[in-house]
Formats: sequence, structure tokens, C-alpha cells
Amino acid sequence: MQTRPVLRSSTTAKVVDRLMLGLLWTLALGFIAVLLLFVGAILKQGWPVLNLGFLTRMPETLEAGGGIKPQLFNSIYLVVLSLGLSLPVGLGAGIYMSEYAGRGRALRFFRLCIETLAATPSIVLALFGMILFVQTMGWSFSIRSGALTLALLNIPVITRVTELSLLAVPRDLKEASYGLGATKLQTILKVSLPYAATGILTGLVLTAGRAFGESAILVFTAGTNVSAQFPDFRWTVPGETLSVHLWYVTSDGTLPDAREIAAGTAAVMILALLILNLLVRFLDRAIRRRTR
Amino acid sequence: MNQPSDSILGDPLSIAVLPASTQVKPGPSDFRLSRLHRLADRWSHLLFLGCSLLVVALIAGILVFLSSKGLAAFLPLSGNTGRTLGFSEVFLSADWAPSNDHYGILPFIGGSLTVTGLALLLAAPTGILTGVFIAKLAPSWMRTLMRQVMDLLVGIPSVVYGIFGLTVMLPVISRTWLKDAPASGFAVSAMILAVMIVPTIVSLSTDAFESLPQNLDEGAQALGASRWQAIASVLIPAAGPRLITAAVLGLGRAIGEAMAVQMVIGNNPQWIALMRESTDRAPFLRALFTPAATLTTELVQELPNTPAGSTWNNVLFAMGLMLYLLTMLLILATRRLGRGAEA
Repeated sequence: MQTRPVLRSSTTAKVVDRLMLGLLWTLALGFIAVLLLFVGAILKQGWPVLNLGFLTRMPETLEAGGGIKPQLFNSIYLVVLSLGLSLPVGLGAGIYMSEYAGRGRALRFFRLCIETLAATPSIVLALFGMILFVQTMGWSFSIRSGALTLALLNIPVITRVTELSLLAVPRDLKEASYGLGATKLQTILKVSLPYAATGILTGLVLTAGRAFGESAILVFTAGTNVSAQFPDFRWTVPGETLSVHLWYVTSDGTLPDAREIAAGTAAVMILALLILNLLVRFLDRAIRRRTR
Repeated sequence: MNQPSDSILGDPLSIAVLPASTQVKPGPSDFRLSRLHRLADRWSHLLFLGCSLLVVALIAGILVFLSSKGLAAFLPLSGNTGRTLGFSEVFLSADWAPSNDHYGILPFIGGSLTVTGLALLLAAPTGILTGVFIAKLAPSWMRTLMRQVMDLLVGIPSVVYGIFGLTVMLPVISRTWLKDAPASGFAVSAMILAVMIVPTIVSLSTDAFESLPQNLDEGAQALGASRWQAIASVLIPAAGPRLITAAVLGLGRAIGEAMAVQMVIGNNPQWIALMRESTDRAPFLRALFTPAATLTTELVQELPNTPAGSTWNNVLFAMGLMLYLLTMLLILATRRLGRGAEA
């Protein structure tokens, strides 16, 4: 690998070593500072706007003082719907890849597909959803178009996390189950999946966070309007979410208090993210406590 | 678990030689083998296979649907109300004026490449160095802290990055460095993108350094290398292919990001002309702070306003198709790199 002698120990080398180690520490602390600055700025801007009224009022279209009640509802509703749609598929594909696909060409091919879908930009998924659901199926900008397209974003993550959690199930546990005469399906359903459940749940919470923050997909499939009714569970109405609202009010410019609304919405999203993150860490600790 | 019973379960042959009295009695358990169970076992894998095949179908479906729109710009397909364009007037022209029937998308390709390149220039070195720091140098509390920081950075939604850029970075940079001239353009977009892709690069390069054999590091230090010398001349070259994979995946994320960039880049398809003509500022300031556009931002900006089936609409879908094909290419490239690392 090396053609010249680089490993000379000299005073220069020691100085360089000190300098570079210092640089690495600075870099790492720099990223922490970036995060703190970021979260701090968003929360500081949004704090004056945040109150119960902001969360529970309907939005205004032309006047100041609107709230984000339907957007908050749509965000949660779409996350739940899209998770419900993608969970069976993701679980099934994850089970197949870890338990049935073997270790050969089939597994490599499926993994390639999952990786490709995971790496596909959300704007591309948005275009696909727009052509298929909004135009071809004629569902226009609606909750169902949004939920189905958002599911495409979740599927690769759930599949991957299911596969990895199942691969981490200890072999002797499965063999004990086979030894007791269980079939492969019984072993998966009653031994492997319960063991992997916490890991899969952690993945689900992370997926929910990603879906909650997604905007590009929903601008083109769920639209930038909300239903006048509340709560509106119909899947044919447009369903603007928090993240879409945040983007729309800043780019549209008809609201006099767009700045404040955007700041408040961003703060709500950051708070939701922090809560989800705590939940993930709690689940993670539960996993580690059990495996110890 | 105690040792003897473990070894019996682990070795199926030993069960046969056990005395009858020590064998496990088939008591009332959850695992009764009825005909139903056997049937379910035989057919259930088809269900799981179906789920996997659905993913494959999705990959193919996206390609087919995007092509049906994107290729309509170049081929006389049915349902196409627009004009059929030649490849060169789209891919080799910088003239984007859809209202005058000019559809050159070079500004967007150039914009995407520029902003992604700049972001990678910022994120790849810092991400890889942070990765080596986490894997080899950081005390364990710092390691945990850095993981959490990266988890949070990757979880922040792109619109929130966008609003931070819009309400904090643009005004501050404009006030302090640009004498109140607008700051939107490649610089701020690339900075935001860099922060967005750094967690990917950090986590993949941390894995790469952690999976290196311990004796590489120890060997180098035993030969008298300082810790930095061991990192720079042994560890980084040894992890090379996986570090490049990390950078490629970061690049993929950056080039596909739409909303955050759209909010700060200024959305100006005529940025090449503007950059060339405005002579009131130093060239590098012009390059970094001229409002511009990329493939993704142009899609977000214009797609909702164009009628389906029009030439304009078709060209926008062709840009989406390009992004998708690029993703596939990047993933295949990481595969090749991965194989290189194993060999």
C-alpha cells in the first residue's frame, strides 16, 4: 500500500499529531454546536407563537392569526395511514429476506432493490405518486394519494429494520423451537418476531419521524389545502400536513403573518422530533437491557 | 443457559443416542402440528415472497410511469399534446424559456452538479474525519453523544432546514458579508445540504473504521507511528473503498434533496446568464451568491403550474426520470465499490 516511509517519528510528527487531534475534537464539537444553534434558533423563533390557541385554531387564508389544527391532524393521520399500509409489506419482505431468501443471488437482488428504493429521492417518488394516483387513478390531491405514496418511502426502511432485527435473533432460540417440533412459520411468528419486536418497533418510530417530516411527496400527492371540516377522516379530501404548510406559507406569501406561522410550525415539528427521539432511546435501552 | 443442554440442542445427532428417559416429552405446547399448520407453513412463504416481489415491482413501476411521461418529450406517444423535442435541444441547451418553446435543461443539470459538488466538498472530509474520531479516538461518552447528535441531525425534516436557511442564514450572511445584497444561491444551499448529508457519511465511515482489524492500528503504532500518522497513512487508505461508498451515498442524498434547497437557492433558471452579466461583484462572490436553480428545485417550482401532457410538463418529468436513473447508477456504483472492498 505504502511506497515511501511515512512512519517517521520526529518532533514535527508529534506537533502534527497534536494539531490534527485538536482539529478532530474541534470538528466533532463543531457539529454539536451546529445542532444546538439550529434547534435553539428554531425554538427561539417559534416560542412566542406557540400556545394552545395556535395548535387548536383553524388556519386563515388571508388574515393573520390562523392556527395549525387541521395540519397537525393530517400529519398524524397520514403517518398512521402510511405506516399501516407499509408495515405488512415491509414485514413480509423483511421476513422473506432474512428467513427464506438464503444467502445467494436472490438475497443480493432483493437487497439491491430495497437499497434502490431507499435511495430514490422523495421528489421522484412524488412524481410517481402524482402520475399513478393523482392523474391515472383520478384521485386528485387527497389523503389516499398521499398515504399510498408516503408508504413507498417507509417500505424500504421497515424491510431493512425487520431483516436486521430477525438476523439478530440467536440461532439456539430458533433451533430450540424446531427441536420442539415447530414448523418454520410457527418459529417465525412465535419465537423470532416476538424477539425482534422491540428492534422493529424502534425502526417504526424512526420511520414515523421521517414520514412526519416529509414534504416533497405530499406537496404533489396530498396537496396544499385542508378540508373545511374538522376532524375529517375521509380519504378523498386534500390533506396538507405540517411540513407542507411550513413550506407553503413561506413560498406563497398571501398571509401577513406567514413568518410567525412558519416559525411556530417549525418549532412544533422540532419538539415532535425530540419526543420521538427520546422514545427511540427508551426503546433502545429496553433492547440492551434484555440482551445483557 | 447451562452448558450440557445447550450442546444437546446444538447437535441433532446426539439426541438419537440419549437414553429414553432423558428425552423431552412432547407435552402440551403451542407447537401442535395439525394439517392446517403444515399447510400454512408450506404456503406462507409465498406471501412473504409476494411482499418482496412487490418491492421489485415498485422499482420497475416507477421506471415505467416516469418513462411514460418523461420520454413523451422526445417520442410521439399517445395522449401527448406537446411538441416532440430532439435530445440536443433539451440536454445540450442552456436556454430555458418554456413560454417561448425553449426547453434547454443544462442550467438545472449544472445547478444540481454545482450544489451537490460543493456540499460534498464540505461534508465528505469533515464526515470521514468525524467518523474516524468516533471509531478510534473519542472516549465512550463522546462516542454516544456524537451518535445522538447525528441521529438528531438526520431526523430534522428538510423543510425545517429550509426555514433555518431562509430566516437565519440568508439574512445573517447578507448583512455581514454582502452589504445587504441577497445571499440566496449555491453557497447557502450547499452549506445546508452538507449538514443534511453529513450524518450519512459519518455513520457509514464510522462503521468502515470500526470494521477494520484492530491489528492494523496497533501495528502502525508499534512501528512508531503517532495516532494521526496511523490514521492518515494506514486506516484511511485501508477503509478507502467503503469511505468512497459513504461519499457516494451522501452524494445521492444531496442531489435528490428538493425542499430545503428550493427554499434558499433563489429559483432562477437564468442563473448562468445572470452570473456572466453582473459585473458589480467579485467573480467568486457572484458564483456563490447568485440566485440559481437545480433539477429538483425546478420540479418543485414549476410542476404544479404546468398542464399535464404539455411539452413543458413532459420535460419536467424527463428531469425526474434523469434523477431516478442517476439513483440506480449510484447504487450500482456502490455495489461495484463494495465488491472491490471484499476482494
